[in-house]
Amino acid sequence: MKKFGFILALVLILVTLITGCTGGGIKQEGASVKGDFIDGDSGGDAETLNWILAADATSFGYAGHTVDSLATYDNQLNIQLRCLAKDIEVSPDGLIYPVTIRDDLKWSDGSQVTAEDYVYTLKNLMFSDWLNYPYKGEWQEQVDGNTVFVTPEVVNATTFTVTRQTVYSEFVYTIYDLIPYPKYISTQYEGNVEAFTQAPEFNNLSYTGNLGPYKFKEWSRNDRFVVERNPDYYLGKDIGAPYFNQYIIKLFGDSATRQAALEAGDITSTGIEPAEVNRFKSMPDVKVYTIPSPAYWLLAYNERANGWQGLKDKKVRQALSMTINKQTISQAIMLGFAEPAYSFIPATSPWYTEEGVAKYGVGDLYDAGKAAELLLEAGYAVRGNDGKIKAANKDGSPVRLILATNTGSKPTQDTVFSIRKDLSQLGIETEIKLVPWNTLIGQYMMNKVPGSNQQPGNNNGPEAVSQERWDFILLGFSTDLLAPSGSNVFFTTKGGLNFLGYSNTQVDDLFQRVRSKEALDKGVRQQLYAEISRVLSDEQPVDFLIFNRANVGFQKNVMGIEPGVSMGYNYYKWYFEPVK
Amino acid sequence: MVETKIGGCLPNRTGLFNYYWQRIRRNKLALAGLAFIVFLIALAVIGPFVTSDPMAVNFDEKEIPPISFTSQQSTYNIQTDQLTTKDIHGTWEHPLGTDSKGSDMLAMLIAGARISLLVGLIATGIAIILGTIIGVVSAYLGGWADNILMRFTDIMMTFPFFLLLVLIVFIFGPSLAFIVLVIGLTGWTGTARMIRSESLSLRTREFVVAAKALGATDNRVVFRHLIPNVASLIIIMATLSIPGVILAEAALSFIGLGDPTVPSWGVILESGRHTLATSWWVAVEPGIMLFLTVLAFNFLGDGLRDAFDPRSNL
Amino acid sequence: MGKSWLRDYIIKRLIYAVIIALGILTITFILLRVGPSSPADKYLANIAARGGDPAQVQTAIEARYGLDKPIYVQYFNYMGNLLRGDWGWSFSTSMPVTELIKTHWIYSFQLILLSSLFAAILGMLIGIYSAVKQYTKADYAFTFLSFIGISVPTFWLGIMLILVFSVKLGIFKVYYDTTLPLFSIDNLKALVLPVITLGTGMLAGYVRYTRSAMLDNLKKAFVTTARAKGLPERTVIGKHVFRNALLPLVTIIMFDLGSIVFGGAYLTEYIFGIPGLGQISFNAVFANDYPVVVAVTLISTFVILLVNLATDISYTYLDPRIRYG
Repeated sequence: MKKFGFILALVLILVTLITGCTGGGIKQEGASVKGDFIDGDSGGDAETLNWILAADATSFGYAGHTVDSLATYDNQLNIQLRCLAKDIEVSPDGLIYPVTIRDDLKWSDGSQVTAEDYVYTLKNLMFSDWLNYPYKGEWQEQVDGNTVFVTPEVVNATTFTVTRQTVYSEFVYTIYDLIPYPKYISTQYEGNVEAFTQAPEFNNLSYTGNLGPYKFKEWSRNDRFVVERNPDYYLGKDIGAPYFNQYIIKLFGDSATRQAALEAGDITSTGIEPAEVNRFKSMPDVKVYTIPSPAYWLLAYNERANGWQGLKDKKVRQALSMTINKQTISQAIMLGFAEPAYSFIPATSPWYTEEGVAKYGVGDLYDAGKAAELLLEAGYAVRGNDGKIKAANKDGSPVRLILATNTGSKPTQDTVFSIRKDLSQLGIETEIKLVPWNTLIGQYMMNKVPGSNQQPGNNNGPEAVSQERWDFILLGFSTDLLAPSGSNVFFTTKGGLNFLGYSNTQVDDLFQRVRSKEALDKGVRQQLYAEISRVLSDEQPVDFLIFNRANVGFQKNVMGIEPGVSMGYNYYKWYFEPVK
Repeated sequence: MVETKIGGCLPNRTGLFNYYWQRIRRNKLALAGLAFIVFLIALAVIGPFVTSDPMAVNFDEKEIPPISFTSQQSTYNIQTDQLTTKDIHGTWEHPLGTDSKGSDMLAMLIAGARISLLVGLIATGIAIILGTIIGVVSAYLGGWADNILMRFTDIMMTFPFFLLLVLIVFIFGPSLAFIVLVIGLTGWTGTARMIRSESLSLRTREFVVAAKALGATDNRVVFRHLIPNVASLIIIMATLSIPGVILAEAALSFIGLGDPTVPSWGVILESGRHTLATSWWVAVEPGIMLFLTVLAFNFLGDGLRDAFDPRSNL
Repeated sequence: MGKSWLRDYIIKRLIYAVIIALGILTITFILLRVGPSSPADKYLANIAARGGDPAQVQTAIEARYGLDKPIYVQYFNYMGNLLRGDWGWSFSTSMPVTELIKTHWIYSFQLILLSSLFAAILGMLIGIYSAVKQYTKADYAFTFLSFIGISVPTFWLGIMLILVFSVKLGIFKVYYDTTLPLFSIDNLKALVLPVITLGTGMLAGYVRYTRSAMLDNLKKAFVTTARAKGLPERTVIGKHVFRNALLPLVTIIMFDLGSIVFGGAYLTEYIFGIPGLGQISFNAVFANDYPVVVAVTLISTFVILLVNLATDISYTYLDPRIRYG
């Protein structure tokens, strides 16, 4: 629904999912003031606390306050261990991942959390048919043309291994995110998905023991989600953390009300919209942090049969990207809280590079005149009697294209109008389609081969087309900072989200290599990512538009915050300073 | 000279019109309402030719306040981590201000007038026609046909109207044409009921009996005798339904189910609703227009009702 | 005064009510199930982005909630469960539908009750005053104001009130705080703006109806008689005229109670963030959560039907001349 606010909330919630561990148990000074930390959100309520069934990030976010993952990372992207006793070191051949968990983790009934629980969660729940875990694809690999699961195996009470048959250089990050379900409870519901869905223990998070900084207290739908301080938290009990009595997520209907609530002092923190940042920064009781975010916008070019023919030509795509003004988007629409993007990799990622990357849409490469010339070269323009170049199809007919995006986010809606205006400089008429999110997915992105009985999917091969004609789709996406190769879903020929129909063997090859054995060497991986960025910026399968900056506001008395990309990693150590 | 209605015959048209016009004229509020509606229609017809293109965007001129107001805009510089604030004053170039894309508010409101009026007229038209046909036919046929039609009407009436609207538009997609159609197809029940009870009482009146005795077919009776006599009722119902329809479309847009590609007042209001604290004019202005339009139709409808009611002495 | 015909009438009406409710439920069910969207929709982009197979997940999710069976099977299963008191499981909020409704209905109820009381009491008082003092300045003023009252769009009024009283003046909170105990002054204060928003339209309507009903009765013969008998004016107005005006007024109030429940109340809840039935049903519609939508429709249908029935029955006591066949 509200995609942009959702991305903002996503940033905050995703990073609070992975809590932080610092060495040294120094008791915080002001920790004697205990209060409730109230986080304001307007992106919609979670679907379920039985997170293994959910597909929305909000559900993971809620549950994440009560159970830690294996590891997380801090603002410098250093790995911070959580339930792991020591870091995972993949075997030299890149196929075996040994995982050693701490020995002081306990479920609510007092029993120890063992490797058995982890392996059970993987094999009996996530890999099973009856449960149908939505993200089981992350644990699968292609072997001899077949899709198979990786092999988890218990070694002893605190160690298990995950063995692959093919190398995936960034697989360790998938393992870091792993959270266990209790075997002793799950076996009762095994095989019966309906019972599992309605299981009270899972819906009330009553099993979480000492695995998280908070324990579930109450969930009032569309209103508030409340967790209370867990004094037994394995990571915090020695230093008395966490320092809040309760952590409350309060849901609001829209961004205006939640910001007003922060202003009135009713909540502790919330995201701030670009237009209000100035006002909040000048408030005496509020502090605002501007942090980089891995969320970006792209304009996809349709290279399938039901898109404009011209889009299949690289020169045409470059010409279009040359005409779309990224500064308007970042300065006028986002009020400066965004920067132009030229690749799917954000500047904060260690795999980021600028060298050799073509920067369309700004500076030298923002030039409608040059773009028109390029179109002429490609054969998709004609020179009029007045000397002006205007876009035209090969048969001379005028160019009328369709630009689609989802409703619910004002900045993206405004952006499509800006793009339309830019494209009109080339003589291209653009029709705008603003549709609800599931219509965008269902009728513009999902495709199937015409005339076949295929179930529509996001990439049913090069012959497939979507139900509705389109030429451009404006989409918001996000890159995993540590494992950006996940974006291969867009750009590789068989990529699961390659709804645009782009295909390039060099790109396929590069992505395959960056996930393979040779990329276990970080130097090699760096070079491969740099090459991918360069090739994609030249190829322009999509026009990368902007990377956003998120603004988060806090009451002045919240201490311990380290602003950065992974701000929430140490949230269990935040505290209220006593009011002077 | 004033001619009165005699039985069910269609009397001299101009005489009748004058008679009613005299009665309406005495109601100042109704006249004011009528004047506003005429003004609105004129605006809708002529407006697009004299104002700028409502869909024209200009991000250099975004969020300008209306004339005589001043607001502030801050832009952030990532390199320096600084915010620069500047004042923006209302100008005569955009007397009512601009929205977040730089589109002129005045142009958009005028375009919105056209859309709201069209929505009001067409959806009401559909509802009234459907309601009248069902009402008259039901009353005239009587018996089991009447029973079934009325039970069906009951079902439609008991259905929470707005929820039904939301449901249908959500499932099948928010295009303006479809919204108009759906509002029309769900809003006929009140009319049907009223028309039916009026027709029932007319049915037994002498002129109908006389017509049938003279050999008039059912069709003829319905179309030439019954319907013209409920005409005044239809006009009143129509006038009083139009505001409801316009508000229904605005309410749908408000919760996000409107057609975002047309600048109807509801869509403009929705787009300004989230930035109420900083660019309040985007939500306030279309709201005022909606309010005045609904008010005008209510004044007019009320005045018409008084004028057509032979018992009220004006 | 034996009213045996009343009993038969009530039974007949109840049967009608069941038929109508069944019709509405069927229509709602069909709309939700044959529409092109599915509860799995919001999963699709997330899943593909993480390398999954959207089509397979869609099938799996539909199987999880029993949505893959043929539609008539689903319909009869659902109806059967309904009769046994099992209203299903809401997949968008992962809790039983009955519990969802139990935790939220009170908010809608208090909003509607207070708004109706506010509108009815104030409306009647102003209407009576207006009628009695017909053609005075006050009368004209109230008439004009009531036109304004019924013309202001509810949702716009709501956000304007928030803008002025909460944002600019800071008198009221911007959102509804659910932690306040139900019967507290704070809770009442938090409901002031929502009640004004929802009640204004109704209020204006009641003013006009009361006024016109009073005026109609003031001209009647019994008033002259009462006055001739030397009764004080207050008794004439209060006891005789008003009681006769009460009948159509009761109709209007009951009708409003039944119908604004799902319409104006929804929008008000949405604007002020009150987690009542309106909010739940909107969210359920957007999430294709059909058990909730059907359940809420069922409730509203029965409320309307029962209210109508109660109105008709109360007529027979208010006006002994009325008799239903």
